[in-house]
Amino acid sequence: MERNDSQFSGGRRYKNDDITVYWKPSACVHASYCYRELLEVFDPSRRPWVDMNGSTTEKIIEVVNLCPTEALSWKWNDESKNDSVGSDQLNHIKFRRPELMNSNEQETKEQPVSVKIMADGPIVLKGNFTLSYNGTKKEIHDSMISICRCGVSDHMPFCDGQHRKAGFVG
Amino acid sequence: MDDSKENKSQAIIEVIDFGPLKISGNFLLKDLKRGNEESPVEVKLCICGKSGNKPYCDESHKNK
Repeated sequence: MERNDSQFSGGRRYKNDDITVYWKPSACVHASYCYRELLEVFDPSRRPWVDMNGSTTEKIIEVVNLCPTEALSWKWNDESKNDSVGSDQLNHIKFRRPELMNSNEQETKEQPVSVKIMADGPIVLKGNFTLSYNGTKKEIHDSMISICRCGVSDHMPFCDGQHRKAGFVG
Repeated sequence: MDDSKENKSQAIIEVIDFGPLKISGNFLLKDLKRGNEESPVEVKLCICGKSGNKPYCDESHKNK
């Protein structure tokens, strides 16, 4: 399935064929108009919480325009239509987030891989990285693996939980 | 939309035969035992259990 959400330096954006909805989490005051009016699209309990296929473009625009902050805003994907949008479209980016007009919305700088040394346990790696061992290379996408740090695992280089039995401290 | 950008490998994690775990690239190292946090360009972490300078490798794996 094609993803319709992605991250960029100004927050998150969600697309359907007609429009892009922008979400700026830091601006949200939880006025909750979005999910009270259109739970099919805006469902805080779901990830991603915005489903652009949940309703019509017209209805999504209507509900985004209800947001009292700049947390939710929108634009037409056809850029030529954005300049002529009228001020009745309260939450069009032109009025809410003018910095997004004509910006090229750089992708967020890629997330660093998280490397955690667990107390008396393994190394837990999380993110997008290349893992090389025993002469093989694997691309790991958005997932987590644990590498043995005590030296007694039966599944080297991966942790199999034996550090506890082994009484590993370090 | 270009999804490949988001999934781009950020770091090389290399299990060195009979040696340490070598990590290089864009990563954040958090040591939950000692409470340190750092983002070096490269690090070698002990995975043999013998280092006297955990979590780092101190070449102790070479000792019998």
